[in-house]
Amino acid sequence: MSIELLRTSLSILLQGLVTTLLLSVASIVGGTLIGLLAAVLRSFGPWGTDRIARLYTELFRGTPVLITLMFIYFGVSYFGYAIDVFAAGVIGLSVYQGAYIAEVFRSGIESVAKGQWEVSQILGLSRMQAFAFVVLPQTGRIVLPPLIGQYLSLIKDTSIVSMIGMSELMHGGQAIVDRIGKPVEIYGLVALIYFVVCFPLSQWVRHHDRRRLS
Amino acid sequence: MSNQSQTRPVISLSGVSKAFGATRVLNEINLDVRAGEVLVLIGASGSGKSTVLRIMAGLEKTDSGEVWVNDVPMHDPKRARDIRGHVGMVFQQFNLFPHKTALGNVTLALIKARKMNPADARKRAMEVLDRVGLADRADHYPSQLSGGQQQRVAIARALAVEPGIMFFDEATSALDPELVGEVTEVMRGLARDGMTMVVVTHEMGFARKTADRVVFMDKGVIAEQGEPEEIFVNPSNERTRQFLHRVLDH
Repeated sequence: MSIELLRTSLSILLQGLVTTLLLSVASIVGGTLIGLLAAVLRSFGPWGTDRIARLYTELFRGTPVLITLMFIYFGVSYFGYAIDVFAAGVIGLSVYQGAYIAEVFRSGIESVAKGQWEVSQILGLSRMQAFAFVVLPQTGRIVLPPLIGQYLSLIKDTSIVSMIGMSELMHGGQAIVDRIGKPVEIYGLVALIYFVVCFPLSQWVRHHDRRRLS
Repeated sequence: MSNQSQTRPVISLSGVSKAFGATRVLNEINLDVRAGEVLVLIGASGSGKSTVLRIMAGLEKTDSGEVWVNDVPMHDPKRARDIRGHVGMVFQQFNLFPHKTALGNVTLALIKARKMNPADARKRAMEVLDRVGLADRADHYPSQLSGGQQQRVAIARALAVEPGIMFFDEATSALDPELVGEVTEVMRGLARDGMTMVVVTHEMGFARKTADRVVFMDKGVIAEQGEPEEIFVNPSNERTRQFLHRVLDH
């Protein structure tokens, strides 16, 4: 492999990594907001919104993320609108992962003792105040390790966005393999890059899960 | 009866019934509590005494009957929430906010529900913490306090909103025996200061010394009620006699 080729390849992978990270961060923010909303609605949403939230979580937990991405990317153009592939990726991943994140939050909310709600009610706090100032802060320690675990899975799922043509890390690897071959080396390098990003997070989860369970 | 009976009751239950599924827990309960009265509910577990208390506090709905607390019709779901912030309740399991200090536990409702400014809320909180003898523990988290101290913080938290009525649901049942006294001492102080109190307890000493009236519940009905001396010295109901025999000479 020439130096020139190596340099181009590395530059493609680096650009891909930047896109992957941007996609990850945007989807983590989106997925967390959607997940929190769905968990809140499912636990105490009025006017049937709890059912809608439940339908949402069950639907996306029961279908592959690739289908979600395809539906958003091609579905939007089917109705005559154009959508940027990055936006489609962020929306798809947020909506898909939001369903899992909702379950993480819900288990956290339900682990808080009923007495905390009761005493808040008697003290005159509204339901929203009780949730925001009493219940939610207590879920943090319970929710954080599985939440980070879900973020890890989201970061790896960004590789699937390459299937709708997003030029992220995985797509960059494919492009290089198409040009120069050497799939074992190139995909090995791509895997290593994902690993370097994810490993510290998975170590953190492992450490805190042990503390949480002990 | 004394002239207290002429004051209008602050709590009034008439014909209150309640079932959990197929289990009938309350059957046509009639009960009035006057302002400043200390009413103690005793009875075996499952007799319905905690349910009566929780209905008065708005934590359970009735199936039938009328419940008035501080002029709020608790049997009307639309109006029942008006009682919130006007009564205090102390639970068996304390229910302190674990992520807040003693001070933070007391100020939360003052700041968020009462919209007091934080400095005034802190001042009020320190007053009530001092009243339960814990001003020096204001910065401690619940996990750093003994059970008795936690329960006294819970009492301070309830008092901070200046409730018209205080409910105690087996407030000393989860405590080690040597810690019961510090909590009942605070409760006695409240009674002396004229607080209207409804107390569910297994502490017969407290019932006997502090209650104005003792209500003995059995299988969802009020089996007997009267002044402590009548109930403890000369109970007329056979079930009361059996119950007292069991709890007093175990």
